[in-house]
Amino acid sequence: MAKFKQHATSWFIMLPGIILFGFFLWVPLLQSVRMSFYRTRNIELVEFVGFDNFISIFNRHEFRQALVNTFSYTIWSILLGFLVPIFLALIIGETVRGKGFFRTVAYVPNVLPGLAAMILWRAFFSAESTGVINILLGHLGIGPMTFLTEANWVIPIIVLISTWRGAGATALIYMAGLAGINPELYEAATIDGAGIWKRIRYITAPAIFNLGSTLLILQIIAIFQIMYEPLVLTRGGPDNASISLMLLMWNYAFGGNMDFGRASAVAVITAVILLGFTVLYQIAQRRKVDWD
Amino acid sequence: MKTKFFNLFNKNAPPRTGIIRDFDKKTTGIKVTVFFVYIVCAIVVVLALFPIYWVIMAGFKDLREFMSSTLIHPYAFDFTRYTTTWNQLNIIQNYLNSFYAIIGSVVSALVFNGLLAYGLAILKPKGYKIVHNMVLVSLLIPATIALVPLFINIQRFNMGGFFTPLWLAAGANAINVVLFRQFFLSIPGSIIEAARMDGCSQLKVFSKIVMPLSKPICVVVTIFTVNGVWSDFLLPFLVLGVGQWQTVMVRLFVFSTQQTINNDDLMRAVVFSMVPPIILFFIFQKKLTENIVTSGIKG
Amino acid sequence: MKKSLLFMVVAIFILLLLTACGDNDNTGSGSIASEGSAPVTTAAPPEEIEDISIDVVDPYLTATITLGNWPPDTAPGAELALFEGFREIMRAQYPNVTVVPAFFSYTLANYLPMARGGTAPNLFQPPFTDPPLLISQGLVADVTDALAEFGILDKFSPSYIELLGDENGRIFGLPRDGYVLGMHINIDLFEEAGLIDEDGLPMVPRTLQEVAETGRIIREETGRAGLVFPASETFGGWLFTNIAWNFGATGENAIQSQDENGRWVANFTSEPMIEAMYYIRALRWEYDILNADATTTDWAGSHNILGTGQAAMNFAANDSVAEPTAGRGLPVESFALIPFPAGPGGAYALTGGTAFMFSPDTNHDQAMAVLGFLRIIGVLPFVDDDTVAAMRAGASAARDRGVPVLPPVPAWNDDEFIATQRAVADEFSNVDMRLFDDFFNSFTDGTITLRGEEPLFTQQMYRELTAAIQRIITRENADVLTALQQAQDRFQEFLDDEVNR
Repeated sequence: MAKFKQHATSWFIMLPGIILFGFFLWVPLLQSVRMSFYRTRNIELVEFVGFDNFISIFNRHEFRQALVNTFSYTIWSILLGFLVPIFLALIIGETVRGKGFFRTVAYVPNVLPGLAAMILWRAFFSAESTGVINILLGHLGIGPMTFLTEANWVIPIIVLISTWRGAGATALIYMAGLAGINPELYEAATIDGAGIWKRIRYITAPAIFNLGSTLLILQIIAIFQIMYEPLVLTRGGPDNASISLMLLMWNYAFGGNMDFGRASAVAVITAVILLGFTVLYQIAQRRKVDWD
Repeated sequence: MKTKFFNLFNKNAPPRTGIIRDFDKKTTGIKVTVFFVYIVCAIVVVLALFPIYWVIMAGFKDLREFMSSTLIHPYAFDFTRYTTTWNQLNIIQNYLNSFYAIIGSVVSALVFNGLLAYGLAILKPKGYKIVHNMVLVSLLIPATIALVPLFINIQRFNMGGFFTPLWLAAGANAINVVLFRQFFLSIPGSIIEAARMDGCSQLKVFSKIVMPLSKPICVVVTIFTVNGVWSDFLLPFLVLGVGQWQTVMVRLFVFSTQQTINNDDLMRAVVFSMVPPIILFFIFQKKLTENIVTSGIKG
Repeated sequence: MKKSLLFMVVAIFILLLLTACGDNDNTGSGSIASEGSAPVTTAAPPEEIEDISIDVVDPYLTATITLGNWPPDTAPGAELALFEGFREIMRAQYPNVTVVPAFFSYTLANYLPMARGGTAPNLFQPPFTDPPLLISQGLVADVTDALAEFGILDKFSPSYIELLGDENGRIFGLPRDGYVLGMHINIDLFEEAGLIDEDGLPMVPRTLQEVAETGRIIREETGRAGLVFPASETFGGWLFTNIAWNFGATGENAIQSQDENGRWVANFTSEPMIEAMYYIRALRWEYDILNADATTTDWAGSHNILGTGQAAMNFAANDSVAEPTAGRGLPVESFALIPFPAGPGGAYALTGGTAFMFSPDTNHDQAMAVLGFLRIIGVLPFVDDDTVAAMRAGASAARDRGVPVLPPVPAWNDDEFIATQRAVADEFSNVDMRLFDDFFNSFTDGTITLRGEEPLFTQQMYRELTAAIQRIITRENADVLTALQQAQDRFQEFLDDEVNR
């Protein structure tokens, strides 16, 4: 009996947290699924329409484009957002003098609010002669270029800006991982005549492999959330070239048509893709994700 | 910071710790590599700081100059441009609003996430694993996905227009719960047992033993929450609208998407939104970078 | 044990209380006016009521109204003072009405959460494109009875009744003002390019072809863009429909039409549409007169660029003349407004406007009080001391700020009211009307035919057309027909999904 009472009290202690998680995450997620099967008017569910919303969005070019774009975002973010911090951590790790300074400075962009950073970079990439990058190119004698109006460039540019913001912080985590490597390993290798590349290949890379794969999956989850970046920078243009799944969801819901049913269908599809990634990741790892 | 900076020019540098060792023969290859390392670091410094420097300079320009000048620096350093925009936008009210949002969120994040993690790490009542797994799954699903129904629920419960939903949302942060839980797990069970023997209730154990021992992680959660709440604008925009409680970032979001503001004022507003986090960062810089290094997590 | 249980209960209680507190704070702060929130001190009869000859004023009316048309805190002091003056008059005529200023810059995305959460201002100002959606979604209040009681229902133009009403003849708003699309001119750049005639007037284009040629001269002589073309989001398509009309995309070539089975069809691939798109293409790749960042330039951005002298011409309307001038620093002497340039297929100008509408929780008394306020600020068809004073104060403040004072495009069927508006504009005129006469005469003398927006889902249609424009002006070898065909297919998909089921 006392045991039962103890369990009950424990649950009571956890209850507020559970209620909040329920209200802000779990219930809305389930509602998303439910709503994706309904036609909506304003915020009310009007009628059950089965898979109509899903069929309808798959027939819409902007959804297909957003789907393709999201994978393009993912690839670019693996190329830039994933590799740059590792490179940065290796480089800063090699400095002797000023290590703390470099580490701190590289982290600074991360404390800027993301929205402010986007507005700032919008001015940098402006195609007018007053765009900052064009000013700098002008000093090199290169005429003004267009950036955000180029369909092939917008996604790499957006990923580049995200990387600018996040790389310093992620690099810090890698540096922590690198610091855990026993220096004697390197010294032994050095004495054995292993060059720098060999040391990286056989000592450094294996040591941060697990950390890297965890960060990679987090990176992919983060890139699927990309929304305000194209919203602020390009409004998803030119010609939908930078629209992301989440931005499309936002547009359906809050962009003029209040189409919550289709917005939810987009959300559900995104969640399914992400779960797919996670499952793939776990299979690749062949063991439980080590969160603890 | 300062001492470390001067370290750069100090002859008596500490020994190498990275991949390149002092053992390495001083071949040209190694020397070039070391040189390359510092070049890259210098580029990183410029890339990280120049945009911030530029926007502060841009704030000294008026609209015509901003739209036509191809110089980085303004024609004149007219500080009244900043003060005029500051007064005109009455941004002090938005600062206050952001402050209210942050205070409530920090309290909520510490109390609710802490209590949940306490349950998951120490109390472990029957069936806690289900909750634990659900929290872990929440880590994998971006909160943005739940935005539309969450918005609808908030409107249904008529909670729009004030901070309440934002405060409470901070109490449902999966990363914080995981952080707290990891830390609580490292507290020796004997301390908690001893307190229980003395007749402490479960809540008292939490407030008198567990939390005081967990100051480092509380600091991390607080810093993350402050930074997150200051920067967030999507949910705040949907909750607070364009009403009187707009936070700094909501105001900036409305500016940037509706352009009810001139570009030069927008640049100054960007500066206003950056200054507090930058100041806080340089005050807590050491704590932050160290804590991230030790706990190995990302903000 | 018991103690901790108690603590939990208290904690949960506090939690609930916090939620409730949120709501209390809301209503307490006076930012929203739900039906029951009229001040308690209602019964006090007004002690000294001005001798008011206007019979619509009801001094015993009791309500609290939030007004979204109030100028923002950031507005120039003169404008705020003007509204404070209106508030004084309101206080004298309606002693039991509390006016709460609540500047609200309307967009649908902003309005939706506020309307749902009950925080929307009683009065707000959507463009004419949005009333059908707002009405069908139940997001605005029915004000038919208030309008009838105020005696202005019979002064509505029939087209506005259609726009602001539903199929049952109920009416949900009233027109604020109309606009006619034309072209804004930065005279400084015309001067710099030597495009000034012997009378000292800028040699402005009259046809779309002349726009291209004039733009080229400006580009060559000044290095600045001839034309700023906001081709982001929906703006590009919005302007493009007008250009397409002037290439002949009307009548049997109409952009939207219903076939014999009642099915709505998009027709983007007609000869005039193709020619119009080739025109846009030529502006970019042959004449090269567009601003460099066209695909990310929006409406406000276009005014920025014209007002600061980065472009010489901008397709824009008479209701936004304050933007490049007072808003962006272009002196009124350097500004002109000309009719929308004609094309080979006709001379049309898009007309639209802004409505006053009411939040869904607005009750009859609040609607009456809002109408009372609108009369005082001189936008309802009444000619009396209050309204004339308001018009004069408004014109005077505009002149002081450096906004061109121009006659409005009439929103009401009331000759006396229109004549009064014209007289006031004349009295405070701060511009050389030779730079504006063509514009205002063009639609009264019939050189230009006014035309409303296409009937269905115009925002979605503009979005698709904008995407096509973006492709044409960013890729030199993009095929015009393919781009239009694709936009047409996409919009047809949308139409089939939304209306043709």
